[in-house]
Amino acid sequence: MRLSDRITGGFLVVLGSVTAYAGSLLPPVPGQQVGPNVFPLVCGSLIAICGLLIALGIGRTFEDEAEADFSAHVGVIESDLPQTRLYKLRVLIPPALLLFYVLAVDGLGFVPTAAVIAFVIAVTLGANLKLAIPVALLSPVGVHLIFYKLLRVPLPDGLLPMPW
Amino acid sequence: MAVYLEAFRMVMAPDVIIAILLSSIYGLVVGSLPGLSATMATALLVPVTFYLSPIAAIATIISASAMAIFSGDIPGALLRIPGTPASAAYTDEAYAMTRKGQAELALGAGLWFSALGGIAGTLSLIVLAPPLAEIALSFSTFEYFWLALLGLMCATLVARSSPVKAIASMLLGLLITCVGMENPGGIARFTFGFTDLLGGIEVIPALVGVFAVSEVMRAMISTDPPKMPKRKYDSIMAGQWMLTRKDWRQMTRGNFVGIIIGVLPGAGADMAAWVSYAMSKRFSKEPEKFGTGHPEGLVEAGASNNASLASGWVPALLFGVPGDTITAIAIGVLYMKGLNPGPTLFTEKASSMYALYIVFIIANIIMIPLGIIMIRIAATVLRAPRSAILPVIVLCCAVGSFATGNSLFAVLTVAAFGIIGYVMEANGYPVAAMVLGIVMGTMVEQSFVTSLIKSDGSILPFFERPVSSVLAALTIGALAWPILFWAWRKFQATPASAKA
Repeated sequence: MRLSDRITGGFLVVLGSVTAYAGSLLPPVPGQQVGPNVFPLVCGSLIAICGLLIALGIGRTFEDEAEADFSAHVGVIESDLPQTRLYKLRVLIPPALLLFYVLAVDGLGFVPTAAVIAFVIAVTLGANLKLAIPVALLSPVGVHLIFYKLLRVPLPDGLLPMPW
Repeated sequence: MAVYLEAFRMVMAPDVIIAILLSSIYGLVVGSLPGLSATMATALLVPVTFYLSPIAAIATIISASAMAIFSGDIPGALLRIPGTPASAAYTDEAYAMTRKGQAELALGAGLWFSALGGIAGTLSLIVLAPPLAEIALSFSTFEYFWLALLGLMCATLVARSSPVKAIASMLLGLLITCVGMENPGGIARFTFGFTDLLGGIEVIPALVGVFAVSEVMRAMISTDPPKMPKRKYDSIMAGQWMLTRKDWRQMTRGNFVGIIIGVLPGAGADMAAWVSYAMSKRFSKEPEKFGTGHPEGLVEAGASNNASLASGWVPALLFGVPGDTITAIAIGVLYMKGLNPGPTLFTEKASSMYALYIVFIIANIIMIPLGIIMIRIAATVLRAPRSAILPVIVLCCAVGSFATGNSLFAVLTVAAFGIIGYVMEANGYPVAAMVLGIVMGTMVEQSFVTSLIKSDGSILPFFERPVSSVLAALTIGALAWPILFWAWRKFQATPASAKA
């Protein structure tokens, strides 16, 4: 997800301007000139300025130096896997699974939902079934035992209540 | 005296001792796994600390972070992959020593000087905190405003990235704290009608997302690190005493630099290690040996990164201004446990403060035996494949953030911040700066708006009080520094190119 500085800078300009404007519309504390409006106004304007500078490429030299310095010290592991656009979408799997957790946990219950998540992550990271299935079966139960039993977090039982 | 005894009694409670031991083991394991940083280890611990007594909660954070910073050296020395960013500065050196057959010396030096550095950092905390608390008692909102701003500026200065991007990240963090009702007017701000946003964006889920989920996301498109070869070790601590006697100057310098960088708000262990390693090379009598497996830099940087860890607590405890990302998390825990940071902590909760010192010292002492065991079993522990560890991490992210308020909205926050953290990191925006913005936003806004109300909208009083004018000058200096540095280099480069 490497975007050009023009895109990220432009995004910050828009974000900053919108929040500064929206902030300035908020009412001040009654009887005072200032209130909840000031801080978003200041932050938003400064973000917009930073965005403009980034889009113009100012400060870029520092970044190149830091990168060169870092890769000189630490051997960067080059991936030999195909780095196509589709392949890179894999990074969205963890947040997607968290979204799945939010949607499914109340209906399915913690242990089945967690088992699905653990299984998918293990398989995407290249585990074979001999490893992925035990991970999917054991890790939800372990996490449930620690958080539900010891730390008393009210995890939903759903379809599969645990004996403790 | 009674206070000291009380502090000892607090630390010797069985739950605290168990908490220290378990979190030490946890810190050692997580720190030694490449890609899992000390900050991530700490962030994932926070939900667990909800259920512990105040001292046990702080103890888990202190011991887990200290152990993780040390054990990051292990894969650095054996695989040339730093376990945590704080070890990156001297990974090459340690690996070169291993190739020369001095793995024991390299790992032992990491352990021994980490422990000594941690103790030196603790001493600095004990010495520095009370007089600073005295000064801090006279601070008003003007000083707090500048102090918070100075902390944020330092964070952007030391980020190894473009200063403009670092400042933008920090401002994004401040903007995130604008969400919710906790503002001077008590009105719903930027909530877009969602009731879940009325309370603002929770810090802990945001941290877990930025530090843990985005790390798992990166793992999705990178390959497994190479397996650690099994090997037999001779005595690990042999030779350390000799090294201490030979390189005590480097060690002391490393400790001091680490302490100073730790106290500086925003700059943490990784920065301390980079600076100390560079300094060691600069002042060494044999700089040509650096990079070929020479222990000098290892001693200095290893002593430095652990020293910075303890001294990072100085601004955190006194002003609520985090010294690094780990203390940024710790501040959240302090608030949760009723130990609100501030100079009065030393008068009202003195025994808790002493207990904290004792925990630091204990953690750094037990680091040596536990570290030796960890080094010996490292090859086995690191054999655990990523595909077995990361599923557990993701589950802990989900459950841990849910536990912060028993709301599923927190899990969505984790996912969102995972994406934000990933995109920012990939584009050179330092996430640490954003995190400090999130942690300090409320304090910055409160002191800013209160000061403005006091001064009737004028900004002149921000510069009138003596301490606040000094802090203001430092802050503006920190802002101007990259510009001056850039201009100076431009100026140097122009005549040179003109001659050519």
